[in-house]
Amino acid sequence: MGYAIGVDVGGTFTDVVLRSPPGEITVVKCLSTHYDPIAGIVSGVTRVLRGVDPSQVTRVVHATTLATNAVLERRGARVAFVTTRGFRSVVPLGRYARVEEDRYDLRFTPPPPPVAAADCFEVAERVSARGAVLTPLDLDSVRRAAAEIARRGITSAAVCLLHSYANPGHERRVAAILRESVPDVVVSSEVWPEIREYERATTTIMSAYIGPLMASYLSRLSDRLAELGVRAPVHVMDSAGGVISADLAARRAVATIESGPAAGVLAAARTGFPDVISFDMGGTTAKTCVVRGGRPEITHEFHVGGKGSFGGRRAGTGVPIKTPAIDLAEVGAGGGSIAWLDAAGALRVGPRSAGSSPGPACYGLGGSEPTVTDANLVLGYLASASLPLSPGLAGKALDRLAEPLGVTRERAAHAVHEIVSASMASAVHVVTVQRGIDPRGFVLVALGGAGPMHAARVAGRFGIGTVVVPAYCGVASAAGLLAGELSTERVLSRLDAGDPAEVFAELAAEAAGDLGVSSGGDGVRVSRSVDVRFLGQSHDLTVEWSDDRPVLESRFFDRYEQVYGIRQRGEIELVGYRVRVTLGAPPADLAPPAPAEAGQVAGSRSAYFAELGGYTDVPVRTRDGLAPAEGPLIIEDAESTIVVPPGWTAVPGPAGAVHLRKEDA
Amino acid sequence: VNDALTAEVLRNALVVAAEEAGIVVVRSAYSTFIVEGSDASAAVLDASGRLVAQSMATTLMNSMALKAALPELLADIPADTMRPGDVYVLNDAYRGGVHTNDLLVYRPVFTGGAPAYFAATMIHVSDLGGLSAGGMAPLATDIFLEGLQLPPIRLATSEGLDRTVEAVLRANSRTPDKVMGDVRALVAGTAVAAARIASLVEEYGEAGLAAGIDDYLDHTEARTRAALAELPRGRFGATYPIDDDGLHLEKAHHVRVTVSLEPTSVENGTVGSGIGVGRVGDGPEVAGVVVDFAGTDPQVPAAINASVSQSLAAAVFAVRCFLDPAIPMNDGCLRAIDVRLPPGSLLNARSPVPCGGRYVPIYAAMEAIFQALSDAVPERAIAASGILQPFSIAAVGAPYWIHLSYDFGGVGARRGLDGPDATGVHFGIGRNSVPQVEPVESRCPLLVESIETVPDSGGPGRWRGGLGTRTVYRFLADCHVTTRGDRLRIPPPGRDGGLPGRLGGFFRRHLDGTLERLASKVNNVRFAAGEAFVVQTTGGGGLGPPSERDPALVAADLEAGHVTEDGAAEDYRTFAE
Repeated sequence: MGYAIGVDVGGTFTDVVLRSPPGEITVVKCLSTHYDPIAGIVSGVTRVLRGVDPSQVTRVVHATTLATNAVLERRGARVAFVTTRGFRSVVPLGRYARVEEDRYDLRFTPPPPPVAAADCFEVAERVSARGAVLTPLDLDSVRRAAAEIARRGITSAAVCLLHSYANPGHERRVAAILRESVPDVVVSSEVWPEIREYERATTTIMSAYIGPLMASYLSRLSDRLAELGVRAPVHVMDSAGGVISADLAARRAVATIESGPAAGVLAAARTGFPDVISFDMGGTTAKTCVVRGGRPEITHEFHVGGKGSFGGRRAGTGVPIKTPAIDLAEVGAGGGSIAWLDAAGALRVGPRSAGSSPGPACYGLGGSEPTVTDANLVLGYLASASLPLSPGLAGKALDRLAEPLGVTRERAAHAVHEIVSASMASAVHVVTVQRGIDPRGFVLVALGGAGPMHAARVAGRFGIGTVVVPAYCGVASAAGLLAGELSTERVLSRLDAGDPAEVFAELAAEAAGDLGVSSGGDGVRVSRSVDVRFLGQSHDLTVEWSDDRPVLESRFFDRYEQVYGIRQRGEIELVGYRVRVTLGAPPADLAPPAPAEAGQVAGSRSAYFAELGGYTDVPVRTRDGLAPAEGPLIIEDAESTIVVPPGWTAVPGPAGAVHLRKEDA
Repeated sequence: VNDALTAEVLRNALVVAAEEAGIVVVRSAYSTFIVEGSDASAAVLDASGRLVAQSMATTLMNSMALKAALPELLADIPADTMRPGDVYVLNDAYRGGVHTNDLLVYRPVFTGGAPAYFAATMIHVSDLGGLSAGGMAPLATDIFLEGLQLPPIRLATSEGLDRTVEAVLRANSRTPDKVMGDVRALVAGTAVAAARIASLVEEYGEAGLAAGIDDYLDHTEARTRAALAELPRGRFGATYPIDDDGLHLEKAHHVRVTVSLEPTSVENGTVGSGIGVGRVGDGPEVAGVVVDFAGTDPQVPAAINASVSQSLAAAVFAVRCFLDPAIPMNDGCLRAIDVRLPPGSLLNARSPVPCGGRYVPIYAAMEAIFQALSDAVPERAIAASGILQPFSIAAVGAPYWIHLSYDFGGVGARRGLDGPDATGVHFGIGRNSVPQVEPVESRCPLLVESIETVPDSGGPGRWRGGLGTRTVYRFLADCHVTTRGDRLRIPPPGRDGGLPGRLGGFFRRHLDGTLERLASKVNNVRFAAGEAFVVQTTGGGGLGPPSERDPALVAADLEAGHVTEDGAAEDYRTFAE
């Protein structure tokens, strides 16, 4: 085994992590280059490889926000949408929900559709829900559509015909004809053959929208790395935490939309605890995810580009994507979030962020509005480290809240800290309580620059008694990439499927083909699951497959009770089939950082703890050589600051982690 | 600061409790209306009947029903007779309910041995009798034709469902298994929310939770009054027509409203509806609003009447549309809005007139307020909209399959903005509640031939009304079609020189292809296999003279297919030149 590199490009920083064959870790953080992310990657990789022969690198795993950003900034390819005659209005009409403030907004205008009405085309054909051909495909209608698409200069097309999950024949023939004149064609039965035409169509459209961009980006990235002497294949993390080839990522680009956050969750999943809640708080957003039995929760539908809360993933407000993704909740609050007073004088935080420009007031870069980081500085949780911070500017910014509220500066700062902890808690709530999972008994894993400052407070709200701050928590996503296995999933919606074994065999062969292996090959693991529902219901649940019917039924009944709290029995039906193919053994753990000097007490400073009546002088320690110590306490290292409130104890954990414990939780 | 903070945390926590209940109900229900489209409703109330929180998917229609019916439940079944684990149900339209198929389910949450809060859920269940399968009875002449009525009764105890109640429900349903599946889902939803409320009581203490709720209701009231204070002072009136009552097709009925935005001194409790407004502050200058429907036509023995809770919902919704949209929906907001509903009118029905067709009068009420407030605030004016057009398609006999759904009309143009196509301005329901083709075809013997926007259906104007849609269902088996349409005879007017939206309708396409227009409200019209049912919705009204429309916008409409060349030439003459 050679060297492995993980590269995570975020909004502010590009993180590069190098693992040597014995497992030593080198970390480089450099500024992201928005004009061309590859420039930042090249400089990061160059620095991390100092003294290492680039040809010794055998693996490069990349998490990219290219797909997400293309969606959010609407920078993808112009797409022509081709569907069954009679249905070209379906995508332009959309299926948005009116949520939150939309509901009472008479001036609400639906978001523009992912394809303009004039770029939607119809072909004459019809297939039934059972896959029978009711109207044969009219090839002339396809040729007319192809000619018009070409005439309009559109080079990317998405094809989604009614009931193509049940019979993909027409879609394939449409694609074959379109490909004669349209360079990039994506068909729904290949991207994600699941029932419900709208989500299948948008999933296909988004793949056609991002695909060309992704293909050219990844091919340029490979070229630039090759110029550095790194000739290892570039792999990309997909939204479900699997790793796929650059080629598959280009073909199924829609599967990479949650690439970055997925990597962070994988890092959290490898802290040695089976049941954890991953809590990743950065500058503008925070993300949470539940990991049970070492496996992150996976969702099969999420939304991109939607309303602010929960990261635009709010069902119905964005474009639905039906591919597996790590089931994150995201809130628009992070270190840079701005605190403000609403019309009735109540204190609010976010979702607006000061970002990196002008940044929090204490950065001294011209920002004057109070942010969470300013509040944390006023409270004494933060101190100047690599970046000099101005307590004076932070205090002035907080006074903009304190004066109208008629409270002291530190009370205002404390309220900001509390409100942000509450919105972090709401993200935890979404992935746990809201899904019928009791968070007590889970371990909270704090990641990201700001996560460890708020983690204990968030944990306390849920009665969670253990917080883990892993080594490398500030570059968690890049480190998580090295834990990803080559893996992908295939799905098929099919009512009345004859023999499930045949369906599974076919899906497994296709998924293995996606990874460039054979499904019976060495080290290839295949897992099967089915979508099951009670006969007469419309929502299904995914459970692990068993060909023993009573076993399958009891799995479904158990899952149903777990999710809905109803113990129910009855006739079930299978409506969908899923296969995940994974290659190779799980990669080795990361070695902990080499201990530096055992300088335990780095000093002390005054920090605010409401339960102690205000400011108290608390010890400040470093992570290296930490001995068990009771809060209040602050632990600092190069990437993060851990706040240990009163009642919590900090102890060194394995692999360079710090564990926080609260006895009475 | 800390109190406001706690209040904010509690507000979120209680909304989440309602959200959780709603998710459980919608995912575990059987009613086809719920599973493929419309969402479940869930709310948290306190024992004094205050609406404390509701889930996002809960329409104001349903939360107002849950609020209005709780005191009725407590009147029949005193709180001190309730036991932990008990669950109650009712659907009586004259006592807060909506109509037969909407079951309101309550579970008390106990603190200190007495019910302090109620977790409530509500959905349109699969079937509870009445004139047509699925629950629509557009030609009912009294409430007894609308199905089984339930006064407040105990539905379950900690031992499980009450067997007598179950037997009665099953005996009165065309789909007994499904209706009981729905009932179990409703009960399970209340259990989830109740557990969450109980844990909040534990965390914040009985008094702490109550104080937190008081604080955030007060805060919401303050925000609502602050927003009302920004509206101009004055009295603004409007009238909106209803096509017909389904039985006398030439006779229109009218809803009249006067919206008073004046500094008012409101005496305690003088409210026409008896609910919706509690006490108001003691100062003489209170920024509130009085919405008075005096002059509205009397109730009729036909299905175009509304119960109090539904009319209240329409009034509050319409007023809210002219305030800061971000204000939370709870009792604090209701306190600032005084709604007066004349007893025995279309908007405050008394026994025994039918109430199931409440969409029709309350949308007229909503539109009347929109028009009155558009006069008050011209920069936020909106022209009238196409209405939501409910319909059901069902098997002619057992075993029953039912497709109950609706399509949306186009929204009226707004000043500076075209109206959205085929969407629900009303109650803020989005297009996500319209079922998709593939699951419907998997379940029912029909084929959807097309779903199209109707070009030229948006009322022409400087800002154009939103388009209606046309959906064609071809049947593979004989079936019954039932409809409940309005604004299919009297088109939604434009404003300030804008033209009305174009009328839609319900149609039968015969085997020979000819189209026959059905009345807007029909009950169990039999269709033969091979015939098709066409649902075409009405477009929204335009705003401002069409001659003032930017030619570039007309060109873009042509490109997108929103208008035809003929339509552009006829409706926008400047463009033709």
